Amino acid sequence: MSSSSPRDHRSGTLVRTAVVAWREFKHTALTKAFFFGAVVVPALMLGVVLLIPSLISGRAAPIIGTVTVFCSDPAVVESAQKSVNERGSDVLMGSRSARGVIEQMAMDASEPSGIDVTIVAAAASDSIDALKERVRAGELIAVVSITDEALHPPVPAAGADSPEESFFDMFVASSTSPKHTALLQRAFCDAIVNVRVLATGADFEQLSALLRRPVAITSRLTPEGEEATENTERRFLIPMGFMMLVWMAVFSSANQLLTTTIEEKSSKVMEVLLAAASPMEILTGKILGQAGVAAVLLVMYGGLGMAGLIAATMADLVTPGTLLLLGCWAVMAYFMIGALMAAIGSAVSDLREAQSLVGPAMIILMIPLMLWLPITENPNGLFSTVCSFVPLLTPFVMILRTAGAIEPVPTWQIAAALLWGAFTTLAMMWMAARIFRVGVLMQGKPPSPLELLRWIRER
Amino acid sequence: MTQSAELAVDLRGIGKRFANVAAVQGLDLAIERGCLCGLLGPNGAGKSTTIRMIMSIIKPDVGTVSVLGADALAMKDRIGYLPEERGLYRKMRVLEFLVFLGRLKGMPSKGLSHRIRRWLERLELPGVERARCSELSKGMQQKVQFLAAVVNDPELIVLDEPFSGLDPVNARVVTSVVSELHEAGRTIVFSTHQMHQAEELCDRVILINRGEKILDETMAEIQAQFDPRTIIAETMDPSVDLSTLAGCDGIESVEREGTAGHWLLRLDSQCHAQAAMQAALRTTSLRLVSLRRTSLDEVFVTLVTQHGGHARTEVR
Repeated sequence: MSSSSPRDHRSGTLVRTAVVAWREFKHTALTKAFFFGAVVVPALMLGVVLLIPSLISGRAAPIIGTVTVFCSDPAVVESAQKSVNERGSDVLMGSRSARGVIEQMAMDASEPSGIDVTIVAAAASDSIDALKERVRAGELIAVVSITDEALHPPVPAAGADSPEESFFDMFVASSTSPKHTALLQRAFCDAIVNVRVLATGADFEQLSALLRRPVAITSRLTPEGEEATENTERRFLIPMGFMMLVWMAVFSSANQLLTTTIEEKSSKVMEVLLAAASPMEILTGKILGQAGVAAVLLVMYGGLGMAGLIAATMADLVTPGTLLLLGCWAVMAYFMIGALMAAIGSAVSDLREAQSLVGPAMIILMIPLMLWLPITENPNGLFSTVCSFVPLLTPFVMILRTAGAIEPVPTWQIAAALLWGAFTTLAMMWMAARIFRVGVLMQGKPPSPLELLRWIRER
Repeated sequence: MTQSAELAVDLRGIGKRFANVAAVQGLDLAIERGCLCGLLGPNGAGKSTTIRMIMSIIKPDVGTVSVLGADALAMKDRIGYLPEERGLYRKMRVLEFLVFLGRLKGMPSKGLSHRIRRWLERLELPGVERARCSELSKGMQQKVQFLAAVVNDPELIVLDEPFSGLDPVNARVVTSVVSELHEAGRTIVFSTHQMHQAEELCDRVILINRGEKILDETMAEIQAQFDPRTIIAETMDPSVDLSTLAGCDGIESVEREGTAGHWLLRLDSQCHAQAAMQAALRTTSLRLVSLRRTSLDEVFVTLVTQHGGHARTEVR
C-alpha cells in the first residue's frame, strides 16, 4: 500500500489552493443546474433575440381581392389604391424602429408582400347590405362607406376648440387579420386626408413635410470645452446593464461561497480540510473557484448583452478600454463580496443564522442600485466622486460612472479608485481570513459583531 | 531527554482555553516515532482539543507544538488525520472524494485512483468508489474516512475515535490495518473510549482528565503499576468452599464471586503469586486458576475517580 511516497511529490500552497479551487468550481459549475442557468438560458435568450425579428416580421398571409367603396369623390379610390400599394410592404415588414441586424433581417424577411388589393368604387345599383353579404361570403375583402361629411368636415370657427372627430365605415370579414385591417384603415384615412388637402389647393406631400416634427440632437459642453453628444442608451441603460450583470454574477457566486462554506462547516468536512491545508489556502481556493463560476456567468450573460448591442448596432457604446475597466471593477467587486460572504459562512452554523449577518451586508450592497439614477445623471459630479471612495461601493459606483459617462471619468479618479479598491479588497480578504480561521471551528450561536472584531484581532 | 527531532509529537506546556473553560492546561507530551499511543480520557477531558493542536487546526494559547521535528503546519502532508466526527462531502462520489483529499495531501494524481481502489479492497469496501458518500452506511463512511487519513501514506497518523460506528467485524478490519501500519513503522496516536481496543493495540497509554495528563506509561508499566494481586480460582465442584485458604501463604482474603464456584484470592504485598496458586491447587480440584490482570478499564475508572471524576461539559 505504500508503494509510492507522497513526500516525493509534496506540493506547496499553490497546489493545495488550486485543488480546493478546482473542486469548488467543478461542483458548482459542472452541474446540470448550473449548465442550464449559465449556458442553456443565455443560449435560449440569444436565440430569442435573433428570432424576434423573424417572428415580428413574419410574412402575413397574402391579401388578394377587391375592396368596394361607397364615396362621392373618385379621388379617394385612387388615393387609397396608391396608399395600399405603398403601405403594404411597411405593414408586413413590422417595426421600422429596429436597427442594424434586426432591421436588416426584418427587411430580408419581408421581400415579397403578397398584397394584391384592388379598390373600386361601388356602382350606383349596388346596395351596401348586398355587398356586406359578399364580404361575409369571402367574395370581397371589404366594403367601405365614406360620407361627404367625413370627406369635408366643417371648419371650426376661429378660437373654437379642435374640430370634432369624423368617421367612415369599413366592413371586413371576421377572419381578416388585424394587420390587413390596419393596412386598409390607414390607406383610407390617408386617402380621405389627401382629398381634404387637395380640396384646399395645397400640396399634400409638402404639407406632410412641414408637419413632420424635427429630432433634437443634444450636445453637452464639458468644462474642457469638448462637446459630447447626448445619448440616452449610453447614459442610463448601458451603466445599469453592466452593473446588473456584475451584480448578478458576483452575488450568485458569493452566495454559493456562503452556502458551501456553511455546508462544509456543518458537515464537519472543514476539519478534514483544515488537517490538509491552512485556513488561508482553503479560503483562497474557495474564492478562486467561485471566481471561475462568476467569470463563466459574466462571459455568458455579458456575451449575450454584447450580442444584443451588436445586433442593434450599438456596440460602439462600449469601447475595449471601457470593457477592460469594467473587468477590473468586476474582479474587485467579486473578491470584496466573496470575502465577505465566506467570512459570514464560516462564522455561522446554518443558513438561517447566516441571514442575521447577510441582512445588514445586503442593505449596504443594495445602495449602488439606489444610486443608479443620481450617479448616471451626473457621473462626474461631487456626489458620484465621493461615492466612488466609499468602501464596498467603489467597484459598483465606478461601473456606473465608467460605463455611463458621456465625458470620460478623470484619469486620476480612475487610478485612485483602483488603488483604493485594491486596498479595500485586500483588507476585506485579510479580515475574512482572520474570521474564517476562527469561525470554521466554532459551533453554537452566531457571533456578535464585537466577537467578530475579537476574532479579527485574535493571535 | 529525547531530542525533539526523534519525536513524532512533542508538546511542551501547551494550554488552550475556550471562554472561561480551560480545555487543556500545561500538557507535556513526547511521543517517539514508531509508537502506537492511545490517548484516553473521559468525555470533555481535552483529547480532541489536544489532537486539533497536534494537527495545527487550532493553536495553543501557551506552549509549543512540534510534529515530526517541525511546525505542524509545514508537516500536514506527512500527517494523516481521522476526525472524531465524520466529515464527508455528501454528494461527492467516494473515489472522487478520496482523490481530492489525496491531491490535497500532495499525492500525485497518477496512480492515485489505483492506490485508492487497493485500499478500498483492503478495507473490505470493494465497488463503492462510484457510490456517493451519502449513500454509504455509517460504518462504511467511517472506513472511507479512515482511508482518507491513511491514503497519503503518512508518517504520523492521528485517529480520533477510529472505531466509532463500526460493528465488531469492521472494527477488527480497522484494528488489523492499524496494526499493519504500526508494524510498517508508522507512528499512530489514537483516542478512544473502547478500552479493550486500546489495550489490544497500544504500546503506550496517555490518560487525560480535565485537560491534564494523569497517566503516561507503557502497557507493561501499567500492568505492573496496577497489578491487582488477585488470583481467580474456579472449583470443579461448585459446593467446595475456598474461604479456608484465607490467611495461608500470604493470602489476605478470599471472597466468592457469583455462585458458580468462582473465587477471588487477594494476596498481600509479600506473597508470591505462584505459591498462592499452588496452595489453592492443593486444597481442591480446580477447573481454572489464574493471576488476574488489571484491565485498562479499571485503571481508567480508578484514575479518573481519583482525579475528581468526569470532566466538565465537553468543549469544542
